[in-house]
Amino acid sequence: MTTVAGVALALGVVLAGLVVVLLLAVGLQHRQRTRTQARDARRRAELMPTVHALLDDDGDDPAPGPHVTSAPALLDELVLDLLPQLRGSDRRALQRVLAARGVVDRAAADLTARAAWRRGRAATLLGSAAATDHTPALAACLTDRSADVRSAAARALGKAGDPASVTPLLVSLAGPRALPVGVVGMALLDLGTPVLPALRTALTEGSAPARALAAEVLGVHGDPLATPGLLALLRDRWQPTEVRRAAAAALGRIGSPQATAELTQLLATGPVPALQRVAAEALGRIGDPAGTTPLVSGLHATDPGVRAACADALAAIGDEGRGRLRVLAVGTSPAGRAALAALDAVATARQWRRPVTSR
Amino acid sequence: MTHVLVVDDDPVIADLVAFRLSRLGLRITVETDGEAGLAAIRELRPDLVVLDWMMPRMNGLEVCRAVREDPDPALAGTPVLLLTAKAQEPDLERGFAAGATDFVTKPFSTRELVSRVTAALPAGSVPV
Repeated sequence: MTTVAGVALALGVVLAGLVVVLLLAVGLQHRQRTRTQARDARRRAELMPTVHALLDDDGDDPAPGPHVTSAPALLDELVLDLLPQLRGSDRRALQRVLAARGVVDRAAADLTARAAWRRGRAATLLGSAAATDHTPALAACLTDRSADVRSAAARALGKAGDPASVTPLLVSLAGPRALPVGVVGMALLDLGTPVLPALRTALTEGSAPARALAAEVLGVHGDPLATPGLLALLRDRWQPTEVRRAAAAALGRIGSPQATAELTQLLATGPVPALQRVAAEALGRIGDPAGTTPLVSGLHATDPGVRAACADALAAIGDEGRGRLRVLAVGTSPAGRAALAALDAVATARQWRRPVTSR
Repeated sequence: MTHVLVVDDDPVIADLVAFRLSRLGLRITVETDGEAGLAAIRELRPDLVVLDWMMPRMNGLEVCRAVREDPDPALAGTPVLLLTAKAQEPDLERGFAAGATDFVTKPFSTRELVSRVTAALPAGSVPV
């Protein structure tokens, strides 16, 4: 018994000792981290006058002075932290600093580093620095063996803002290392309206996913000059469904009545319900009264999704469309039920929009 | 001298905003959390507040509401400019509903910020 108690006591003492050592280690670690953070904060504060001077120039002076090029390495971190929070001339000034201090060149060299995290970080930095000189190197990363690096390169190309990135971005949608459509789509949107001509050209070139995405982005921008190209895609029966669908949706977003006839035709004779649905939705968005009668006919389609899309589109077209829905919203036929559901949705939306006058 | 209070938990952004506004000849005070910011608004009664939205302890909207609900009409009328990365339509609605006078969304331009501060202050407050 005495021996057992002695062993237990010894174990207890050892355990307590270990706990004390652990607590001390945690305390020391915490103290060390606090000191490091305080030191970094102090050093950053010391560098702020340099940052103020950088952002204080009224013009777009292309050459930061020697006080910038010789400042400590921490300035790079400070600038990289600030960069995503600023825009306009402030952002351009910080981008020039990164270039002048060799950060951009080092990142470009890192695009071929062995470690994927270094390649990804380099791509991100080049995007933040808007380093358009390195578009070809970033475009080459779109086929990198690491999916993360490929995505980082796509995002970076979007942020860098070089319209020449459109073609490699669209090409990256096909092949064994294809990028997700969402990543490429965001990059194309980041590139903004300067890439609209390249996107219009892409409607007739490249892979099916590339043509579909080009159509979608043109629709998001509401580019009226894309209408002829989109109509051509819509008419072409040899185009894959996803391309014709994207073209129809884009035409709806652009809202040109020029597309009414083609969309009406697609609604009536579309080979698959998915295309008929999107044609109906587009007609609703365009709001051309000429679409009313074909949409009413669409209420008798066999596919319930097409019927619902036609009813919603009629509700969206305006008084004439809603009038036709009210006439049809009787009985229990599929068309009548679809019309009633669309009218209910309109009534509910109106109720939500009504201002609250009393509690 | 016209007094502007800058409340932002990011010391680099707070310093940058303070520096740019001080160049206008304004007196600047900086606080780094919402609670300290509200206390400073009540104590110092600044002419304008540049307020970050997402902050520890008390967020910018709560500070804004507390200012607007203050029984002292002079304090409740203090212009508040929200500086925030929240730039979606519902965010703007929530900000204005809380009583914000104006918004500057991140990424922001310090020149735009200076223009908005100047516009939000009474005429003649900013030395020419």
